[in-house]
Amino acid sequence: MPKDERYDFVIVGGGPNGVTLAAYLAKSGASVCVLEERPEAGGACENTEPIAGVKINPHAIMLYGAPAPGFEQLELWKYGWRIDENEMGDLMADASRGVACSFGMSPLTEKDQLGFAKMAGLLTQPTFTKELLRSVFWCPPHPPEVEVTIDNIPYMQVYKKYQPDVWTEEMLDMDMFDLMDEHLESEPWKVQQAVVAWYSGAAGHWKGVAVPAWACAITLLICGRMRVPRGGMHDYFHAVMRCALAHGAVVRTCCPVDEIILNDGVAVGVRLRDNATVGEKKIWAKKAVISGVDVRQTFNKLVGPSHVDRGLLQRVNDISLKGGSIFNFHFYTRERLEARKPWAGKFLGGGYPQDSREIYYDHVADVDGRKGNPTVPPERALWLSTPYVRFEPTDRQVTRPEGHIMSPVYFLVPPPEYHVDGPDAINKIKDQITQYIIKAMSSGPYENLNSDNIIHVWTNSPYDSEFRNTGLIGGTWCGTRHCRDQWAEKRPVPELARYRTPIDGLYLCNQTSCHPGGLFLQAIPYNLMHILIEDGLVEPGPWWYSSPYYIPQQGKKSAKRPQ
Amino acid sequence: MVMMDQLVGKLFDEFPKESNWDVVVIGAGPNGLMTGAYLAKAGAKVCVVERRYEIGGGLATEEILFPGYYSNIHAIYHMMVDYMPAMRDFNLDKHALTWIKPNLQMAMVFGDGSSLLLTKMIEDTVDSIHKYSHKDAVAFGKHMRVWQRMMDEIVGPATYLPPMPSLDLIVGMQRTEIGRELLELNEKSPMQIMKDSFENDKVRALMLYATCMWGLDPNETGVGLFVPLLLTRAMDKAYLLGGSHKLAGAFSREIHANGGIIVDAAEVTKIKTQNGRVTGVELAEGRSLNAKVVVSSLDPKTTFLDLVGGDKLPAMLKESTESWKYDKWSYYTLHVASKEMPQYKCDDPWANESFMTVVGFDSAEQIVAHWNNVMKGKLDKHFGGHITCESFWDPHLARGPEGAYVSFFQIHAPYDIEGGWEKKSKELEAAALEKWHRAAPNMKKDNILMAVGETPVDIEIRLPNMRRGGIKHGDYTPMQIGFNRPNIECSTSKTPVEGLYLCGASTYPGGMVTGGPGYVAANRVAEDMGLKKWWKPTRLMEKYIQTYLQ
Repeated sequence: MPKDERYDFVIVGGGPNGVTLAAYLAKSGASVCVLEERPEAGGACENTEPIAGVKINPHAIMLYGAPAPGFEQLELWKYGWRIDENEMGDLMADASRGVACSFGMSPLTEKDQLGFAKMAGLLTQPTFTKELLRSVFWCPPHPPEVEVTIDNIPYMQVYKKYQPDVWTEEMLDMDMFDLMDEHLESEPWKVQQAVVAWYSGAAGHWKGVAVPAWACAITLLICGRMRVPRGGMHDYFHAVMRCALAHGAVVRTCCPVDEIILNDGVAVGVRLRDNATVGEKKIWAKKAVISGVDVRQTFNKLVGPSHVDRGLLQRVNDISLKGGSIFNFHFYTRERLEARKPWAGKFLGGGYPQDSREIYYDHVADVDGRKGNPTVPPERALWLSTPYVRFEPTDRQVTRPEGHIMSPVYFLVPPPEYHVDGPDAINKIKDQITQYIIKAMSSGPYENLNSDNIIHVWTNSPYDSEFRNTGLIGGTWCGTRHCRDQWAEKRPVPELARYRTPIDGLYLCNQTSCHPGGLFLQAIPYNLMHILIEDGLVEPGPWWYSSPYYIPQQGKKSAKRPQ
Repeated sequence: MVMMDQLVGKLFDEFPKESNWDVVVIGAGPNGLMTGAYLAKAGAKVCVVERRYEIGGGLATEEILFPGYYSNIHAIYHMMVDYMPAMRDFNLDKHALTWIKPNLQMAMVFGDGSSLLLTKMIEDTVDSIHKYSHKDAVAFGKHMRVWQRMMDEIVGPATYLPPMPSLDLIVGMQRTEIGRELLELNEKSPMQIMKDSFENDKVRALMLYATCMWGLDPNETGVGLFVPLLLTRAMDKAYLLGGSHKLAGAFSREIHANGGIIVDAAEVTKIKTQNGRVTGVELAEGRSLNAKVVVSSLDPKTTFLDLVGGDKLPAMLKESTESWKYDKWSYYTLHVASKEMPQYKCDDPWANESFMTVVGFDSAEQIVAHWNNVMKGKLDKHFGGHITCESFWDPHLARGPEGAYVSFFQIHAPYDIEGGWEKKSKELEAAALEKWHRAAPNMKKDNILMAVGETPVDIEIRLPNMRRGGIKHGDYTPMQIGFNRPNIECSTSKTPVEGLYLCGASTYPGGMVTGGPGYVAANRVAEDMGLKKWWKPTRLMEKYIQTYLQ
């Protein structure tokens, strides 16, 4: 084992953001070491097979990041990147399916379809969906000396250019429901969009982030088309990690970091925990340490309060995780869960019930208002199921002779630290919550979700996730919420918005600390590359291009390259 | 409405429908990965295709106690770390591999609370045997000096060299005294060797279990050379900190650093041939990989009959493939997460720190009776097995909210069991917990957080190439070892189908993460493709070549 290890960059945390950044940096010729605490890298992009032949997805399952420049820049196709179709894939194209409500499937009107298509950038020639999404997610926040105005917010520029008739100043103050009230018609259709956003870390009811929240829904529905990467999210992650390895990055598992080492106020390396699987416990960074760990742990634990301004520490600790944490259910059943009449043939997974925004608001009140265990009756509980994956034999999720797996079914609960009855309150009633959700699902479309049919149910609560997956603070896959106070130039707090920190040589690269948050968009690493180029730390080859909406910081090198 | 992707435009490219490679390796288990890594570094354009969503095959550290607890669900005892050339050739330890080699390797805890220890340092074992028999203690010391020499001078290095036809082997072995002794030993059955060597039944029991636990039939003659191999290996097991999967990760890093790639969730449905020559593989998803050379780590039936196709094989190869026999027994493994680690009721507290603890047997006869039952498809209440508490060594596996320990209890079991596994697995789980509780009183209900049993059928479902739950892809019998593994035409890894090679546990020298088949195949493919070998044999191998081959 080398005694004195030095790399240009040391990245703490081998989740999707850390490893994607490693791929970008390694491809740019830098030496990089990623240190992951768990036995397997990948963060929330994980698959596991708890019973032989039954594969579950503990967190993420579907592709949100389809428009990411990284597919092209990192040439992920070379490293085995593949995606599979499934039954839900054409949901948005097949508007005749309608929206799942307690009374059945609510049909879409012509205004619903046209309004949606218009806002999503599908009615122009050429369409501007990809451009819109890239402007929302794949562009670093503007530098502090630039005043953020309606004219320089990237997505506003896109609307103005392509669809000026929907561009209004009011868009910036709206929540998703306001926006949808203008452009869509039927209530369930609006609620469905809000639910997708809500389960994606944004929300239908937060003012001022209508377009970003809606973008979370669009990138899944239109670009990802509800598809699952072949081999699951973990194999999507594999493609990125193998790109990093092919370019010489070092990725180490079972190497927890206990400290970011400062020298004269500059981050110069990390100290590993005693039980790390390497002999020498210090690893040095010649150019920068990048924290792929959540923002609170970064400052409170890894850097330590003695090196952080007390005011900043307060702002970091005040970051709101509210918005809901995901309780995941994985149902292994004898018979497939089939929707009964009147949902039969049309409900293939998704949110339920989506009758009215009252249901949505009631749910929000339980999760973030009362911050306790659910109080709404099960038949009004808002849950979201994922599609049965219609893979061919090698990639299907059940390879036992018997059974079908629906994994996961999502249900939002308060993040552990906000729960009024204590962080493990939900874990104490795991069985009741499971029965509650079974009742909720079987009172709706899934008639045959009952004890005769169920072979096994696995669950992982936000509380479990915080232990399994220490990067998921609050047990949520989105990190901090995407509300106006924590979005773009304010994410996670204004002084950290451009991924730099007050500590020289320390940068942030985690969903909780960085615009635009989670969902394996590959966006944080792409955006951070702009900043590292500005600081002269990395010089990518001709394959690099910057966001067209990026504004270089004064006095810094520009990361601009023609797109 | 038109399809969304047409409207939005192309967002990304995927792995191509058709691609060209020098070498395609089927299966990313330890041997497939090793072959791929050597050849990639030799400059070949390599693609390793793996059926599962995760690489490693038996090198699997996975969260089957979900949520929160990882287990080594297959390989855990690494016995060839000091012999495997790849460790040095790739300097594999640089990939954060930390090997833990506990002195106390095995403790047998008997029903009466007495115990017998098997240690890395021979004299600690000798001391322990003295409790029962001075004669056996002396004999053990004497035998181990010889058997360790057999391992270092012959069996160890031969693991990484192509097998010799039986006659050549005999002629070669007769050159030295130690070689002649090994030939003599080889004629006996493991049970006979134990009886000849030791008088005390507890000593015989421990030694027999250590020798035969990986599936060697105690009554089979002609496999005696495995005794020095497996007994010395049972005393030299290593645990890989963070779990066995890290070894797969290390090979993966070597493959990718050298321009190769691994594609997972990719099941090969066909090995393509044209005019008797291999041209590549087809995947279930419809993708096609063209290759000059295909190396299969799968068992011979799968490789030749299912993937190449029986009609495309020379008659003799087809016949020998059809007669391939899978392992006589497999395992039932009960993985548990518990609040406390097991504390055994035993005369020697050191036994609690053993890498492996054997419970349930008091004599060699009981062990044999259990194995005979297993071979008849039965399990009665007189079963025993071995236990390891991984968390005692490894803090990385338990990630649940409570401070907890991960352990497993592994029991020899038949693939075809009377009554069927559907019914038997629950019964066996209860019986195993009961037996565990009797040996270690703190392993009672309120201590167990989670338990999950894995049957032989489960092994086959999870790792389909371990057909009938066979961890070695096929039995060790005189007809299926050495030059005969898997048959005389293929045991040097090259097959009669031009361009097709074998590199799995069903090929010489066999399974158990020795890395032998993968290394032998890499050498042969490199030679046949005219690739420059960047590696050299180890010192032990060179000495063996000089002594026995030249």
